Amino acid sequence: MSDTLSSCVLVPLLLGALALLLPAGAGPRLARWLALLGSMVPLVTGLAALVDFARHPGADFRLLASVPWSRAIGAAWTVGVDGIGAAMLALSGLVAAIATISAWHETRHPRAYHALVLLLLAAMNGVFVTLDLLVFYVCWEVMLVPMLALIGVWGGEQRRYAALKFFVFTLAGSVLMLVLLLALWNRTPADGRQVKVADSLVTSSQPGPPTVYGLTAVPLDNQHKEWIVTVPRDFDLRHLALQWRSWEGERFLGISLAAFGFLALLLACLVKVPAVPLHTWLPHAHVQAPTAVSVLLAGILLKLGVFGLYRVAWPLFPLQAVTHGPALGVLAVIGILWGAWVALGQQDCKRLVAYSSVSHMGWCLLGLASLTVAGATGGMVQAVTHGLSSSLLFLLVGVVYDRAHHRRLDGFGGLAAPMPRFCWILLLAALAGAGLPGLAGFVGEFMALSGGFTAGGSFPLLAASATLAVVISAAYLLTMVRQIAYGPLRHHEQAQFADLSPRELCATVPLVLLIVLLGVWPGPLVDALRPSCAALLDHVRSALP
Amino acid sequence: MTAGALALAIVLLPLLTTALLAMLPRTRAAFGHALGAAVLALCTALAVWLCIQVVPGGAAVQGPHATWLELETFRLGVGVYVDPMGALMALIVCLLATTVLVFNAWYMHGDALAGRFPWQFCLFVFAMLGVVLSDNLFLSFMCWELVGLGSYLLIGFWFHKPAASDDPEYQRLKGKDARGVLEHLLSPSHSQLKAFVMNRIGDAGFLLGIGALLAAGIALGQREPLQWHELALIAQSRTLPGSFLGCSGSGWLTLAALGIFAGAVGKSAQFPLHPWLPDAMQGPTTASAIIHAATMVATGVFLVARSYVLFTPDALTVVGWTGGITCLLAAAIACVQWDLKAVLAYSTVSQLGLMFIALGAGRENGGQAAGIAHLFTHALFKCLLFLCAGAVIHAAGGCQDLQRLGGLRRRMPLTAVCSLLAVLAIAGAPLFSGFYSKDAVLAAALAHAQAAGGQAFGPFLLACAGSLLTGLYMLRWWLRIFVGSERDHEVTHHAHDPAKAAAAALLLLAPFTLVLPWTFGGWLDHALAAPHEPELEGAHERALGIALALFAAGAAFAVAVFWLLPARGRDAGSVLARALRPLHVAGSELWGIDRLWDLLGRRWLGNGLAKITAVLDLGSAQRVAGLDEQGAARAGDLASLDGAIDGLGRGCGRLGRVGSLAHAGRLGVYIAIAAVVGAATLLLGLLR
Repeated sequence: MSDTLSSCVLVPLLLGALALLLPAGAGPRLARWLALLGSMVPLVTGLAALVDFARHPGADFRLLASVPWSRAIGAAWTVGVDGIGAAMLALSGLVAAIATISAWHETRHPRAYHALVLLLLAAMNGVFVTLDLLVFYVCWEVMLVPMLALIGVWGGEQRRYAALKFFVFTLAGSVLMLVLLLALWNRTPADGRQVKVADSLVTSSQPGPPTVYGLTAVPLDNQHKEWIVTVPRDFDLRHLALQWRSWEGERFLGISLAAFGFLALLLACLVKVPAVPLHTWLPHAHVQAPTAVSVLLAGILLKLGVFGLYRVAWPLFPLQAVTHGPALGVLAVIGILWGAWVALGQQDCKRLVAYSSVSHMGWCLLGLASLTVAGATGGMVQAVTHGLSSSLLFLLVGVVYDRAHHRRLDGFGGLAAPMPRFCWILLLAALAGAGLPGLAGFVGEFMALSGGFTAGGSFPLLAASATLAVVISAAYLLTMVRQIAYGPLRHHEQAQFADLSPRELCATVPLVLLIVLLGVWPGPLVDALRPSCAALLDHVRSALP
Repeated sequence: MTAGALALAIVLLPLLTTALLAMLPRTRAAFGHALGAAVLALCTALAVWLCIQVVPGGAAVQGPHATWLELETFRLGVGVYVDPMGALMALIVCLLATTVLVFNAWYMHGDALAGRFPWQFCLFVFAMLGVVLSDNLFLSFMCWELVGLGSYLLIGFWFHKPAASDDPEYQRLKGKDARGVLEHLLSPSHSQLKAFVMNRIGDAGFLLGIGALLAAGIALGQREPLQWHELALIAQSRTLPGSFLGCSGSGWLTLAALGIFAGAVGKSAQFPLHPWLPDAMQGPTTASAIIHAATMVATGVFLVARSYVLFTPDALTVVGWTGGITCLLAAAIACVQWDLKAVLAYSTVSQLGLMFIALGAGRENGGQAAGIAHLFTHALFKCLLFLCAGAVIHAAGGCQDLQRLGGLRRRMPLTAVCSLLAVLAIAGAPLFSGFYSKDAVLAAALAHAQAAGGQAFGPFLLACAGSLLTGLYMLRWWLRIFVGSERDHEVTHHAHDPAKAAAAALLLLAPFTLVLPWTFGGWLDHALAAPHEPELEGAHERALGIALALFAAGAAFAVAVFWLLPARGRDAGSVLARALRPLHVAGSELWGIDRLWDLLGRRWLGNGLAKITAVLDLGSAQRVAGLDEQGAARAGDLASLDGAIDGLGRGCGRLGRVGSLAHAGRLGVYIAIAAVVGAATLLLGLLR
């Protein structure tokens, strides 16, 4: 039980190494099966954990395990998932499996390809399951390397430019996170720090003294309302979150350590979200990457940015989260509208879908910034559902590119006649992206909107501005569908196009079913995510004077 | 069965049918139509039962309810709610749906795509019933959007048709004076997109309204806001704590109500969001019969009536004026249209305007009851009109041009009689259903004008003008199709009445155009809780007289200009058109509103802004095409976000190259640097 989460990282890693060592004969065909197997582990684990969280809702971390890494610096391989982590894990496994099915017939260096995908998966799962900031940082950086290679070697014409830009941009964003790690370490006394903790965090279940996250707690007074905990000097995220008041007091580079830390994490995460104006790496990366890599990028990698905010930035620096909430809300709305408007004018359908990703991830940011339960949960729900709908859109764009060898929207027309099944699924994906109720995209968007409307301050105005996006998203997505699928058949050679093959159906149909299922019955997912989001908001609100 | 369970069954049966018919591969059209019609007939029967249970008592019934999303601060649920208005609406929807589907089996006989119609149709009906029978605003919104989906699918039914400018069939069949339409943007696939996006504009406002009501409900401590009874509490509460978007108290309510009304403006095609409706005529006429008669466009009116408690006097003023402007505007356009479906489309827009004029009058003036009554009567006679139009188009081989049709009453007597009944109903002839409901509308508007005075007379006068024109253009429509000589023999010589089941469908709807089914024992007035105060009696009598006068004037004029005078060889229509040339041109050009939307919406705000943001984001097209690892600089690169980032990268590169000069590897350079640095340090040290 306690090794399940570690296996989500280790198994893909080992299978990736194995894929590289396969012989040249059967190797290429075997490598893709290894990739599929590797993605099943996080999928099954994540789903099981998600079902557990849906049945027994709670904000606690489950499937905990801890192996010391370096006692000297206090780093350990501590893993655990809450509802958010479980959902992300399941999503990552599903998207990786679908990306592998999509790249089933990869002919150029398939062993290296699938090994890199497995390495990427291992690093991303590492981010999702770890509770240690140092391991978080390591995995965050490690995943850049396989992605660099995947885009740079297997990509399109401008692949080198796009891969390098992606790598340097993301790395530059997370450079300050390393400084933060060192600063946090430096500003903690070597024998730990005594922190006052509220009663709600103390657990007295097991035999022995009451504990907070495994650390012994001593009551401060007779009523047992406040406790004192000695937090050691380490990188455990839960321990770091307990010390947020001390980070306020420390100075670093002229500002408080907390302000610096929040800025550092924000920079790292906002590049990945991606938030305007730090988003320009995304169109290039998506357009140049092969279909399966685009799916991985949109389906999982973008979620890491949002996940980082939920897991690290908000818990560690709650006061900044409260203070800068409205500013982040403004950034989110700018991203939503900017991404949508740029997408409206795109003639390359892959770039159009890339900008729609920019727009949709803005909803996650808006939900989190609103500091309401509905908004924060909605942001996470939107992350999950966007992973599904955007992966589906990229798969479909990939299908059309496979057939026509170009992606210009004015080069299509009337494909509903030769490819009816494809066009129905394309319409469904577009409607999911446009947020039609009954499909998954609506739930997250509505929750984020309602969070904005019910929050105080300037959030109702921000939410009102964001509602414009429902018009624009319908416009650009349905225009794309019209130009590809409807009208008379414009190019007669396209009448020969084959409809979706069984393999392509294998990749797209699970996504379709999930999008409809989550659109009609989102209750279990929301029940799994809500307690963690609510606990996060309670922690953040406790920072208010 | 309890009313709640009945309502649930009525809503879910069409959904199950959709699922069944969509899953079955290669459904034969006949089987699909038969199954669909059977299920909808069952729903109609259940709806009759539901009405019997709910309407006499007048009380609302809460059906099964379940939580859909639990969000700690509030929760959102799904459930069923039936009141007399809803039960009657459900009955009308089911009845019309059955009739239209039966008719469509004949109308689309032989069409290769006919098999898709039943399941898309049932999806649409399910969504409509969902709006009508839901127990909270959130569920209504979800079903509202699904109604939009259903209409999207049905309008774009013949998705492969090219744009009108490229379509030889269209060019052959269009009227020689046809103008105002942007032909390169007119096709089923364009129109479905236009309808969906325009509806979405209204829905953005609707979401704002929902947000305002959520905030209000939570401020009042409601656990599950947005349910109808909770909304009533919000409306009744005298003090709403705090404010929303700068509006507090009744201003907050007005904002919420206007948000909901914005959605209704989109859905019910009111000015300025009306252009999608005439374009929606690209879909099958049977789809128009259900979308533009009873269901989709009625949803807006229905929802305003349902959330009527929230409408403050300010909000009602906006409703009334919007309805008034739309009523006259659309009626003026309908007078000069040559496409028979376009006349009906603009007529629908105009009649919906009339309903909103009524709703804008306020409950105490009988506005809500009048608006809903007109909604009901309009649904039935408009559906009949569209089905007759479908029969005519089918008979004329696809021709829809009023200039080429004529004298069809000899070849299609049944259609002629049914459509005459419907035309007299819509024109407001005495003894017809339209007279009863239009009289109620005018009475409510007049009572409101008398009570409020001043600007409140505007909607009333606009209603009168619109009613006058209604009689005029509808009789023109009927007379040009069915009376006189056959203007184009090639088009009309094959014409015949629809076959058995389709003819039965027409005959089923015809009796509802008469007033008796609606006023028998005053049951409708009682069901809609129409007020009967003595102050209103005066307004009622005056309105009766006015309505009679308007009908008589309009009918006489139409009969004279479009029948009697042409029969004597005088083309009075053209004379009139030349005399009123500015108005004629303006009406033919649709008051320029379509073109304005195309310019402002599609070209400027849409494509124009998209191009500007794209250039600001990624730079020019040449830049994007020429990107390589070196990121070679181009003029104007820094003017875009992406270019600026690349510029930053290049700057770092340049910095590195400058720095690398110090590592030239040439000993002489190193000695020179060491000498300079050493001398400088010595100097500084000596000067200290």
